[in-house]
Amino acid sequence: MGESDSPVLSQQKATLSMTVPDSNRTSCAITTDYPPGDVAIWIFILAELSVFALLFVVYAFTRHYNLELFDLHQQQLDSRSGLINTLTLITSSYFVVRAVAAIQYGNARLCSRWLWGAIALGLLFLLVKGVEYQHHFSLGIGLSTNLFYTFYISLTFFHFMHVIMGMVILTVVALKAGRGGYCATEHTGVETAASYWHMVDLVWLILFPLVYVMR
Amino acid sequence: MQYQSQMVAKPYFIAAIGLFVAQILFGLIMGLQYVMGDFLFPEIPFNVARMVHTNLLIVWLLFGFMGASYYLVPEESETELHSPKLALALFWIFLVAGALTIVGYLAVPYATLAKITGNDLLPTMGREFLEQPTITKIGIVIVALGFLFNIAMTVLKGRKTTVNLVLLIGLTGLAVLFLFSFYNPDNLVLDKMFWWWVVHLWVEGVWELILGSILAFVLIKTTGVDREVIEKWLYVIIAMTLITGIIGTGHHYYWIGTPEYWQLLGSVFSAMEPIPFFMMTVFAFNMINRRRREHPNKVAVLWAMGTAVMAFLGAGVWGFIHTLSPVNFYTHGSQITAAHGHMAFYGAYVMIVLTIISYAMPMMRGRAAANSNKSQVMEMWSFWLMTVSMVFITLFLTAAGILQVYLQRMGGDAALSFMVAQEKIALFYWLREGAGVVFLIGLIVYIASFFVGGKERAETA
Amino acid sequence: MQKGDHELLLTSTITWLLLLALTLVTYAAAQLGVEGKWLILGVLAIALIKGKLIIDRFMGLRWVGSFWRPMLDLYLFTVGGLIATAFLLP
Repeated sequence: MGESDSPVLSQQKATLSMTVPDSNRTSCAITTDYPPGDVAIWIFILAELSVFALLFVVYAFTRHYNLELFDLHQQQLDSRSGLINTLTLITSSYFVVRAVAAIQYGNARLCSRWLWGAIALGLLFLLVKGVEYQHHFSLGIGLSTNLFYTFYISLTFFHFMHVIMGMVILTVVALKAGRGGYCATEHTGVETAASYWHMVDLVWLILFPLVYVMR
Repeated sequence: MQYQSQMVAKPYFIAAIGLFVAQILFGLIMGLQYVMGDFLFPEIPFNVARMVHTNLLIVWLLFGFMGASYYLVPEESETELHSPKLALALFWIFLVAGALTIVGYLAVPYATLAKITGNDLLPTMGREFLEQPTITKIGIVIVALGFLFNIAMTVLKGRKTTVNLVLLIGLTGLAVLFLFSFYNPDNLVLDKMFWWWVVHLWVEGVWELILGSILAFVLIKTTGVDREVIEKWLYVIIAMTLITGIIGTGHHYYWIGTPEYWQLLGSVFSAMEPIPFFMMTVFAFNMINRRRREHPNKVAVLWAMGTAVMAFLGAGVWGFIHTLSPVNFYTHGSQITAAHGHMAFYGAYVMIVLTIISYAMPMMRGRAAANSNKSQVMEMWSFWLMTVSMVFITLFLTAAGILQVYLQRMGGDAALSFMVAQEKIALFYWLREGAGVVFLIGLIVYIASFFVGGKERAETA
Repeated sequence: MQKGDHELLLTSTITWLLLLALTLVTYAAAQLGVEGKWLILGVLAIALIKGKLIIDRFMGLRWVGSFWRPMLDLYLFTVGGLIATAFLLP
């Protein structure tokens, strides 16, 4: 790690306290008590993660008591769509990382371009998921079909709404970045949006194996 | 007070307190009827007392919300209210309509009231909390529209703030969701389903936005913490409120004939409903700890802190106790629900209205920023009397509820019938009535605090 | 750009590729017919590693000391542990 570590922390302003640099690290990597972006979004992220955690755990235990049903219907899911969507979200998250890096160097235009790329991938995610839903609904499958689909649709749709929410946030930030609303020293907004988007990604990374793969 | 038109809030607050007293009196009558079934029969039967008790609560809270809006919107917008005359006219319409409705409940049998008011033409009566005659409901809609128009025009012409925006969304939601009280399908399942769109989405949805914005306003004023910080919290809290609260409606859909998946959705999402309340508690205490000034109105700050704590306990914790469907299977409609209802309404909505009254009233009465110390100390006494007695009401009802569920629903073949179980828990009803009397005393002390120490000034005012 | 900047970009790019690769492993394992306990534990472990990568590298919590990183680590640990318990219950 070199000097480069500090840009990640550049949201740190004089008002925030930093702890003494950790001498064990190769250079001046600095630990801090504050995550990137606005602390408020982190409280929100924690709350949102809790809702998902509850859903995941209830899914896992309900599955345990309905093993055959869950195994049978899980196999009817199109795991290729799940795979594509996982790769899409990971890449989208990566784009957002690049956007944050770009604004840390003061390159607002590049930042906004990466953000638009991330948003486009979000759109792709919605499209693939939409085709999947379309397939289910055309077979007459709904929330009431059976316990597995109750979970599958609730979980994925709740996540689906979060993707939309994340895209709205990213769009607001991308537009502001395009107008030159952020710079190398002040870009909390970008980091806030990025943190939220990574959370949407993180949730999917657990959701995908849990619902599509594990049996 | 910065704008003359804020004064229109005053009659709203006075009416709210008046109706509050009436609500408590009917509560005490009803509490006694729990243990002395024929008390005041046939003049005021239990069902009528209950209707009056709950309807008065809703009406006085609405008066409180309107008063709060008329007070804080001009100050936030930095402009005079669009039309103070309209606000005053609506006040009298609402008060007279409300009073006539209550008189109607008490004077004639409910069926007669329905007949007189032409319920046949557009039947909307007969549903819990929405018992008002159709013409009263139409009146409420007219008042709400006029009120929203007045507030929206003020917001539009002045400074736009997050507090105003959230308040306006909350008030609009309140008005729009009330329209479902006119939808009265024949199918009982649909009837119940949409009934909750008014009842649940009010108290566990849009009202929380109103609560959040009033609390934020008072905290901005009393702590001097940066508006940006407080607004950020407000956003996070309302986002979480809506995410959990809207799908959380499902916790009312367990046993009314709606699809089975509501067991899952209702349980999971409503189990998360305490989160925004918890955030509110952390938020309020955080802001007060970071205060940049000592506001002379200490009792308003006390009410604000009380709201944050009691809302979390009453709405959050006591709601959670019976929200999971496997638990609710046993506790549904028992005294546990009553315990939750009492503490949640008091902790969240009664206390927030008393907070804004406490903050605004001294200024509207020309007493600078706060009442005299003597008056404040007395109001603090009323705070503790009412709050502690409400805690006891809740605990007694919870004990009664647990016993009721155990005796009446968990005994298998040996389970007791409803009335026999009620007799076994009568002791707790007596205790609750006692706590209720203390609450009334607290309320009397509260009102008395308005009339003491008028000559003296608050120390630092 | 300074030398260090490239290093940072390299780190995130490697993370990204790693995440893609791990995802493909998860998918392939299922396709190749790995089943039962090994699939469950393996796939879950991979998911948690991916989660950890996101938290540390993408969210940038690697440098965040008190509270937030431990909190998210605890999250992964708890959710992972409970899911594993439910799947491995006899």
